[in-house]
Amino acid sequence: MEEFRFLELCVHNAYENMAVDEAITLAIKEGKAPPTLRLYRWRPSAVSIGTFQGMTDEVDLKYCRLNKIDYIRRITGGGAVYHDFEGEVTYSLIVPKGHRLAPSNILKSYKIICGGIIEALKQMKIKAKFRPINDVVTGGKKISGNAQTRRNSCVLQHGTTLLDLDVEVMFSILKVPKEKISDKMIQDVKKSVTSIREVLGRHVEVDELGKALEVGFSKALKIDLIPGALMAQEWADAQRLMKEKYSTTKWNLSR
Amino acid sequence: MGNSIYKVPGGKLLKIKLTPSEGRILAIVIKGDFFLHPEETLVALEEFLAGKELDEIALAADIQNFFDEADASLVGASAADIAKAILMAV
Repeated sequence: MEEFRFLELCVHNAYENMAVDEAITLAIKEGKAPPTLRLYRWRPSAVSIGTFQGMTDEVDLKYCRLNKIDYIRRITGGGAVYHDFEGEVTYSLIVPKGHRLAPSNILKSYKIICGGIIEALKQMKIKAKFRPINDVVTGGKKISGNAQTRRNSCVLQHGTTLLDLDVEVMFSILKVPKEKISDKMIQDVKKSVTSIREVLGRHVEVDELGKALEVGFSKALKIDLIPGALMAQEWADAQRLMKEKYSTTKWNLSR
Repeated sequence: MGNSIYKVPGGKLLKIKLTPSEGRILAIVIKGDFFLHPEETLVALEEFLAGKELDEIALAADIQNFFDEADASLVGASAADIAKAILMAV
């Protein structure tokens, strides 16, 4: 089976997480790093928005500051995601352009890569399927959202898989006028989004999901995951990107 | 200055902030949860649209041509959806 570098489940803040993803694309572009799968969590908890979204349109920055929740703009499109430290695991998969897992047909490549999440959920006895454009659903409810960018001669797809869901907190972070947060809206979200703990009706540890994702991606994508680490150059690039881009108001509030 | 929010059926959300002037686009910001590859195409599109007439059919064609020339892929919306959302902001 094809070998991928595997960066095991680790914890970073929002700026480091997004900077590391981009730094890996730079290393792969230069032929210095192999295709890579990375699992990570966000501490402090953070909200990420799609690259074309307006930060102040989507996120209640005052609530975030008061509650020590970071906010960041991704390099990928898509919508706003709340990355609760205890409530989700994020992955990123980065391959050179033209790789078999990332055909030029974008929908097709989402479907292929999301196969890893579907297999991970299957490992946890959850039956899930891909729902175009970029979601994985179980019982008609979204349990994972994914986003892709194609740059630096790479395809990068990252996504979240929900372990737990606190709709009330989510609505406090995302900019829905408070008076409009009705019980009905909360019920509507509960009808359209779910989490692993809700589906299984038991407490599931973050590490259990991490392990399932590792097995799921390996099995579905037919890749051998070789535990590795960031190279010094990648870490240096990540530090630079964090300082010059991801932690700056210029980037995060650019729209 | 006008705003619009258009949820593309079966697709993503488009949010338009438009400054019109005498039937033309003076300035425009296009936001939303769609995907566009390469992402830099969006800023270039916003610049390209400045000065264009606010005519939905002509805009849809112009936007499609712009994407074709930039070899860009829009996912979750179409050029016609963007044109429609722009006119909704007038």
